[in-house]
Amino acid sequence: MRWYILKALLIKEWQRHLANRGGIALAILLVAAAALLSVFAPTEVAAGTGFVGGVHHCFIEFDQQTPLIQHLQANTPAELGGQIVFRRLGEGEKLDGLLVYQPGTGAIQIRQILAHKSPTGRDTISVYVWHPDGDPLALAPYEAWLWREIRRALSDQARHSGVQLPADPDFDTQNHWILEEAHKRFQDQLALARKSSPGDPPSVPDLQVNRKGLGGKVLDFRAAVATGLVVFSLYFACVYLLPTLNCEERERGVLLAQALSPASPSEILVAKFLFYPTLGIGLATTLAAIYKTAVLSSLFFWLALMAVGAGFLGIGMTLAALARTQRAAFLGGMCYLLSVSMVLLICSTNNIPYLSNLAVEYHGPRILHAALSGDVHTRHWGHLFGAVVLGIAWLGGAAWLFRRRGWQ
Amino acid sequence: MIRIDNLHVRYGTFVAVNGLTLEIRRGELFGLLGPNGAGKSTTIRVLIGQRLPTVGTVTVAGFDVVRQWAQIKPCFGYVPDRENHFEEFTGRRNLEFFGQLYGVPKLRVAEVLKLVELDEAADLPVRGYSLGMRKKLLLARALLHEPPILYLDEPTANLDIHSAEVVHRILRERVKFGATIILTTHDMDEVEKICDRVGIMCRGKLIALDSPLALRQQHTERKVDVICTNGDRLVFDLDDDRSRRELAALVTAGAAASLRTREFDFHATFLKLTGLAFD
Repeated sequence: MRWYILKALLIKEWQRHLANRGGIALAILLVAAAALLSVFAPTEVAAGTGFVGGVHHCFIEFDQQTPLIQHLQANTPAELGGQIVFRRLGEGEKLDGLLVYQPGTGAIQIRQILAHKSPTGRDTISVYVWHPDGDPLALAPYEAWLWREIRRALSDQARHSGVQLPADPDFDTQNHWILEEAHKRFQDQLALARKSSPGDPPSVPDLQVNRKGLGGKVLDFRAAVATGLVVFSLYFACVYLLPTLNCEERERGVLLAQALSPASPSEILVAKFLFYPTLGIGLATTLAAIYKTAVLSSLFFWLALMAVGAGFLGIGMTLAALARTQRAAFLGGMCYLLSVSMVLLICSTNNIPYLSNLAVEYHGPRILHAALSGDVHTRHWGHLFGAVVLGIAWLGGAAWLFRRRGWQ
Repeated sequence: MIRIDNLHVRYGTFVAVNGLTLEIRRGELFGLLGPNGAGKSTTIRVLIGQRLPTVGTVTVAGFDVVRQWAQIKPCFGYVPDRENHFEEFTGRRNLEFFGQLYGVPKLRVAEVLKLVELDEAADLPVRGYSLGMRKKLLLARALLHEPPILYLDEPTANLDIHSAEVVHRILRERVKFGATIILTTHDMDEVEKICDRVGIMCRGKLIALDSPLALRQQHTERKVDVICTNGDRLVFDLDDDRSRRELAALVTAGAAASLRTREFDFHATFLKLTGLAFD
């Protein structure tokens, strides 16, 4: 390998991209997308966005500033602090006299009728939950907080007035305490009825509710989008740009001109296979760093990037060896992408085992998403191993194919 | 300098070159002629190492083209029949890139641009070049490293008369300084004008090999075409006594309205040798 030749070939590749600008424009677009992702959702915890459903802001609208409202305002949880907005009823945006809630928002209206105005002679609290259409559980985290704090506020008020109350239940995030209190009340009512009834009605057994999660977690959409950008940048450089530009040079005869120069075939190939993965990894790293700078110090991130880059490079080299024209290379890249996507979709929807493990595209997004979200588990190391094995297999296969079919 | 010995090249069942044996000396400008599909381009492809001989050996400057291609590569320049430039680069940048691969200074790039009269258009992107300019840029690229051997596949195709003259001048100069040149062309005048020797190929075989002068001597027809006063057209062979006497009688009688001696016609000779002439 002669450095002056490699340098000339690498500079040539870079200058071709500078002259054509298409690839540069796409790279800039990706960087802009990553920057927008970073600027417009700066917090780590986001319940959702207008694009993917969920509620990122919940308005607590009240008609009177009562002690209950003051309690709610004083007890807003830190994790929802940025997303709960208190305002008086009617203060929101209106259209033709009707309140308008923007996509990605919801509201809980609290209307109170004080005892002296209530026909029942007791204070009445009316709660209206305005959730996004078709998604009644979208406000669940806000409701859990509201029911808990209303219960606590009313207990505190009773205790202040000297009423002896049993201790508050264990407030849990799943609202089991509401269910258990209702059941307890039913037990008490039935016990009272047993005392006054002549027969012997059956007693109500105690109720215990246990809910176990399946280990799933809410998708971090920002990390998912960032993962998509990173994977795409690697794919774009190695599976699209490399074969198409390689075939373009072959089609034009420029590859032949280089082959007849003192540059050896291995130098020409090494320059190409250095340039495109470096370009892809550089772009992917930039995008990942814009999303989360800390990821650059993660070993897992770099290993994942190298493994996926190697896999995509092998795929790109295979396409470059098989396709003879630029159009064939482009269509080959598209067909490959669609085929793999279809296979992965069919495997996941039909629970077909093992087959997905043969695709770099199966392991790649998983390990990169884990690296970007900082949530790396043992199974991700397994995926990383799978990606490395596939990367080596693709590179080996591509090298064999290049030797067999002729490098130009 | 170049020795081709019993070269056979087959593409499947098609025989492109069939037992070609040829030796080209140092400092010779050799013209390779032949109709389409005669095997000229395949021969050039073997010489530049892009096609393996099926049978036979080819040595260039003492190196075998198959086993010692790496040693041969820096020794030759090649002008393909189809232009192959980086369209998005300027002419100068194209040459600079190849200059870097050959390790030649930038000054040489300016020199060759001037030599092929492209210095004024050097900083324009190649995509704006005419066919002739592209061809001249190919020649400039081939000359960059001043190779001792040049392979030119129709170097003057699409060139105007002046540019073709420039190319001829450059080639003759290179030969004067000891370069060996093989060019393929369809231009008979060009062959006659600049080539030291000519080989005519047909169906993969070499059917004629000599200097243009010798070919002229061998194939010039000593005949006279006569148009008689009565409109008849007659041909008289000057090598035949009887025919010569008949012509003299015709002229003496004043029956010849027009007389024309036949000149050497390379084109006709080529067609005759390759068997492509119409009867």
